[in-house]
Amino acid sequence: MGEAAPLAELLQLPFMQRALLGGLLTGALGGLLGSFAVLRQLSFFSDALGHSSLLGITIGILLGLNPTLVLIPFAVIFALLVSRLVERSRLPTDALLNIIYSSSLSVAVVALSFVRTYQGNIQSLLFGDILGVSWLDLGLISALLLTALAYLGLTRRDQILLTIDESLALSRGVAVPVHRLLFILLLALVVAISIKAVGVLLISAFVVIPACASRLVSSHFNHYVLLAAGLGGLCAVLGLLLSGALNLPSGPSVVIVQLLGFLVALALAPRQGAIS
Amino acid sequence: MVEMVLEVSGLTVCREGSVAVDNVSFELAAESDTALIGPNGAGKSSLVQALLGILPHRSGEVRLLGRRLGRQGQLQASVRDQVAYLPQSFGVRNRCPLSVAEFVGLGWDPAGIRFNWRGSEARRMAVRQALAKTHCSDLADRLISELSGGQTKRVLLAFCVVRPRRLLVLDEAQAGLDSQMAEQFYGLLFDLRRSEGWTILQVSHDLEMVRRTCDGVLCLNRRLCCSGPPDHALSPSQLERVYGRGYVPYHHHHANHSS
Repeated sequence: MGEAAPLAELLQLPFMQRALLGGLLTGALGGLLGSFAVLRQLSFFSDALGHSSLLGITIGILLGLNPTLVLIPFAVIFALLVSRLVERSRLPTDALLNIIYSSSLSVAVVALSFVRTYQGNIQSLLFGDILGVSWLDLGLISALLLTALAYLGLTRRDQILLTIDESLALSRGVAVPVHRLLFILLLALVVAISIKAVGVLLISAFVVIPACASRLVSSHFNHYVLLAAGLGGLCAVLGLLLSGALNLPSGPSVVIVQLLGFLVALALAPRQGAIS
Repeated sequence: MVEMVLEVSGLTVCREGSVAVDNVSFELAAESDTALIGPNGAGKSSLVQALLGILPHRSGEVRLLGRRLGRQGQLQASVRDQVAYLPQSFGVRNRCPLSVAEFVGLGWDPAGIRFNWRGSEARRMAVRQALAKTHCSDLADRLISELSGGQTKRVLLAFCVVRPRRLLVLDEAQAGLDSQMAEQFYGLLFDLRRSEGWTILQVSHDLEMVRRTCDGVLCLNRRLCCSGPPDHALSPSQLERVYGRGYVPYHHHHANHSS
């Protein structure tokens, strides 16, 4: 932990302003997608995708390309292949995802150890570097947030039916395979674009924790989704302010604030809590 | 001339590579109540899922309200809106935070892109009426994931009744209900069938209930073994054809439980 800087001074700095905006958008995006991913039992999928993204970043570094731009097609192709594999395999999904993410993470770390020219820092890949978020990153995150809001909002009825029961959704004419595919693609894009800010190890926390906290205190679906997105954005901003004020690592600070938010939700909703 | 709500001709359905339903043909007349019976693994759920387009069919033809169901389950939206399905098990995954009123409203909404989130007054009224018809008004603000088995079935009926439907397909609706709950559920279903003019196709293992409430029976064991009114289809000789030699029907008298 280094020397703390006055918060008011930090807020004047352009990189901190970009970081706060990036955190707000990334957190809201994670909460929005997470509210559906958690109920569809895709939490571990997003975790595996995040961990495996290091392989995509490594490929970018080995090819001498911008890792973020390589990561987007990598995450999309990887997500499609893995979801296809999960659908067809007779192995339990969690076991299969474990094999995939631990092996791709291992391959990536070994490959990275041979890269002598890489100027980056392995810690920022693992835990994110939200202070290094550029205007281009902010543009991409904003576009993705708008796309996700439009898609999930306009097909709200189909998304809810698909989330609660697939056969009921099919009987009501919902294009289940199409929506399942589009959601996986959206989740892969969110993971790929948020990795720089959040890191491969913490990305799933952005997807899972705000949604779980919101679930504990919500009794209407719209409230649940909006609260998950709001909590995601708020926790990210508070975590970054905490990180700036106390000179702590930014990604882990945000996750600790998310955890505190989850604990508050657990305390507020004992009757509907995770244990009852 | 009797209107046919459902016409099935030479239907064959495969599941996980093997034939689950083989060359089945039948018709359902408007406002009839028909039971689909047969042993476990006979293909009953596969058949109803194929009729609804949940499962694709390999060959044959299905016509719902005169419109052809595509092999991959494609069906004209206006026809699909008139068909409702009550599944055997209702997942409600991971305590989905959805109130009963919100859920029933989803039964009113058409498929596809929708701009009006809050819903019209007509939608709110339809939800209120559906909840009242199924005696669920007091459950409107409860979470669907917190309901008992009997309450869940009633709420599913509200989901079906929120829009005018012609055909209701039930897959073992009595599963998970005790005999008293099953009795109440079938009483409600019987009333709704009369008031709404529904045609019903229901998968059932409760032959006594079938004998008392249905006016037609389809006996399935991968193929259609027999069909007709309950007196004929549920005779000992026909039941042996469906369930195999030595089949002894167990007479389960629901009335005894309520006394």
